[in-house]
Amino acid sequence: MLKKGDILIIASVLLLSAVSSAFIFTGKNTGKAVTVQENNSTVYSGSLFENKTIELEGNTVVIENGSVFISNADCKNQICVNHMPITAGGESIICLPNQVLVEIE
Amino acid sequence: MAKKITVYALMAACAMIFGYIESFFSLSFIAPGIKLGLANSVVLLLLCRSDLKGALAVNTVRILLSALLFSTPFTLLFSFTAGICSTLVMRLFSGLKSVSPIGFSIAGAAVHNLVQLSVAALLFGRAVWYYLPFLSLSALISGGAVGAAALLIFKKLKTNAYF
Repeated sequence: MLKKGDILIIASVLLLSAVSSAFIFTGKNTGKAVTVQENNSTVYSGSLFENKTIELEGNTVVIENGSVFISNADCKNQICVNHMPITAGGESIICLPNQVLVEIE
Repeated sequence: MAKKITVYALMAACAMIFGYIESFFSLSFIAPGIKLGLANSVVLLLLCRSDLKGALAVNTVRILLSALLFSTPFTLLFSFTAGICSTLVMRLFSGLKSVSPIGFSIAGAAVHNLVQLSVAALLFGRAVWYYLPFLSLSALISGGAVGAAALLIFKKLKTNAYF
């Protein structure tokens, strides 16, 4: 059922994910700082290991024992709330409707 | 003409229902935006018939109406750009003899995710590229599955039963 062109497409998508993961996961620094952006401006920046709850306009960001998650969001889709807690540098959680970006650096 | 419009409307309605059903089992805990993309099977079906105009029309109607009903105008920015780009790329590949619906479905899914990430990168900065490996792998799996489904439907539908 698969044709020659299909194999080429599959190979290039695999290559894309391999190359991009090589870029992202090598030389990854151990993230220690958390920044929270809302509407393109930084509203919070602090340590990953300082437990804290940050109330934003529509979201609640929780920093707890070295992991960060969004516990509450006022939007319908709840994508950011369902997102797994993030723990490592470079990881992020995004809430599109409220334009919130939580990132570990 | 009237028949064609009716069929397009039916297909757009089908695609919207697929999208709605999909929203019940969200996979976005892996990475935001990961989904099966069942709605794309309708677009694939039209592209199997080389109907680019129909594919673009059905996809545009689906995206606009879904945004109105289920999400916000802000997310429309993502779904619309990605939807149009992926439809065009899928048409490009569907014109090639050596590419089956499975292949151009995967290509479309990959482009869809790439465009969404690019838009997100423009809005949020480079951090979002972190998701590229996950999103391209998921494009491979879900694009392949939906492409295979569309191929099966296309074979069953056979000739001009609908047009």
